[in-house]
Amino acid sequence: MTMRHVPVQWNRTKLLYDAVLLVAVVTYVWVFIRVAPHYADTTRPVDDAILRMRAFGTCAFLMLTVILCIGPLARLDRRFLPLLYNRRHFGVLTCLVAVTHAAYVLSWYYAFSPTPPLEGLLRANASYGQVLGFPFETLGIFALICLVILAATSHDFWLAFLSAPVWKSLHLLIYPAYAAIVGHVVLGYLQDAKNPTFALIAGSGALLVAGLHLAARRSGHPRTTEPAADIEPGWVPAGLAASIPDGRARRIDLGHDERVAVFRIGNRLAAVSNACAHQNGPLGEGRVLDGCITCPWHGFQYRPEDGCSPPPFTEKVPTYRLKVANGMVYVHRTANPLGTPQPLVPLSGSDEEARS
Amino acid sequence: MTASYDSQPSVQDAEPFFVGWAGIPARLGPFLGVVALVFVVGMAGASFLISATVNDPGDGTFRWGWGPQTLTGILTADPYPVLHITTPIDNRRISQGQSILLSGFGKRGVQDRAAALDGQLVQARGFLLTRGEIVMLQANGGADGLRAIEPKPDAVPVQLPESHPLGRWRIAGEICDGKCVVGAMRPGTGLAHRACANLCLIGGAPPVLVATDRIEGHQFFLLGDADGGPVTDAILNHVGMMIQVDGVLDLVGGLPVLRIDPVTLSLP
Ligand code: FES
Repeated sequence: MTMRHVPVQWNRTKLLYDAVLLVAVVTYVWVFIRVAPHYADTTRPVDDAILRMRAFGTCAFLMLTVILCIGPLARLDRRFLPLLYNRRHFGVLTCLVAVTHAAYVLSWYYAFSPTPPLEGLLRANASYGQVLGFPFETLGIFALICLVILAATSHDFWLAFLSAPVWKSLHLLIYPAYAAIVGHVVLGYLQDAKNPTFALIAGSGALLVAGLHLAARRSGHPRTTEPAADIEPGWVPAGLAASIPDGRARRIDLGHDERVAVFRIGNRLAAVSNACAHQNGPLGEGRVLDGCITCPWHGFQYRPEDGCSPPPFTEKVPTYRLKVANGMVYVHRTANPLGTPQPLVPLSGSDEEARS
Repeated sequence: MTASYDSQPSVQDAEPFFVGWAGIPARLGPFLGVVALVFVVGMAGASFLISATVNDPGDGTFRWGWGPQTLTGILTADPYPVLHITTPIDNRRISQGQSILLSGFGKRGVQDRAAALDGQLVQARGFLLTRGEIVMLQANGGADGLRAIEPKPDAVPVQLPESHPLGRWRIAGEICDGKCVVGAMRPGTGLAHRACANLCLIGGAPPVLVATDRIEGHQFFLLGDADGGPVTDAILNHVGMMIQVDGVLDLVGGLPVLRIDPVTLSLP
């Protein structure tokens, strides 16, 4: 079995990805605090500390905007899938940028005071009853806590520890966090800005995130909205066997959020759960590489015949029983227990033809 | 019967399949290169646009370059400590009759020390902050910063500064903490700075109303309550934003002081 399967270690793609991220962040901050102020129309320059907190704050906002665009972009155009691959590093870096922003704010606006910084954070502005003057810092703190939780649990250890569904639900925190950041920006910095540039940039960013999510949702799964009906008890039709392209899958919706991916490997068929054991990635959008079903998100691999990752890896996805009659594929709706070997089924239904 | 499988168009077979650990497929390279370039250049462009279009924070600043200053004048403690200069200093930066706000280090006022010196001739030492017509002295700690001095035997007796009534006004503007707005921070105004301003005010910095339009030639007004006492607690919910407020305006020494009625604080 292939030994190229090294999903949680550094590789060239990740290094390249991270290098681009770092270059973008360093350039952003450098332009913000070193280049652009020369062109700003100010009587005296803005304080360095305030420039830095603005640079890191706006940078984190834009980074999160881009992160949230990656998912729907990859759905709409598979060429964006590589951006999804290392999105976790993107998230962790965004969290670090946001923490830097918060540290500059605490060490400037909340420093030099007889009130300790953290107490000041809670006490200095308590006008929760008003929109204008609302303590927008609270929204930022909430978002920061979310980002720290997401970054801290981003490693695969937590994924295994919490299980993929729990981990995925936890990581949906990114949406309330983004909403809070939009509120933080709108009720804070944007209230003061006389020039509309940042309002336009932030507004288009937030609209882009919302628009792409809607578009991806609409284009998502046009043919899988209605679950398949059984033709005989337990067996669900899965279309013509021969029309599944070699090395690829057809996805079948069993209802109740359960999907099966029927893969064709040469002249044989195998059915596994559509949900990758790593992060619930859509296995049915994957390919067969080196004889293994390969997830399109991070490249985890599973053997078609038992749903197990090749050693030394231990991930497993359930297999399903299959049969072919009159050229039609049928899947049994009850998943096999994890690790159950399930012989591949010839395309034609009989082994003789498969061999020919 | 509904078949609920999705048939993938065969054109997708021509698409390269990306697997992270296997490297980027050659055919995706140029596309991803363009995406990376758009990302880096887009971020840099956004950074430039945002940073180059910030509000002008004004000309307020600490005058570190002037060195420590020693000023002499009459101190009034209410509503907030002010030094009314009796003896001009040689460098003509501060002139006789000018009234100067006082603060301590950081977000601290000098109320404790000033209370004992109210109405006396005082020598104050520290660094100046200036913004337009408004001046503040950040007094050094202890008696080095503020201490009573004996008038020279031949000098005219100490007199409290005169107060000229300028009538009742409704003034629109922004309430700021007197320290940041004169230049301790740039910008030291606005909602983003509100928590910082409130901490300064709670710490004892004098609240200053920066008026949208000049009133009787003045733009900065020290605030007090109707009886001429401090008004900090009543204004904290209205700091850093455009408001309007009614009050009685007096020119005390060289400083306009607005004695406000806090219930009239409202959005303009
Ligand atoms: S490899 Fe990460 S979800 Fe499948």
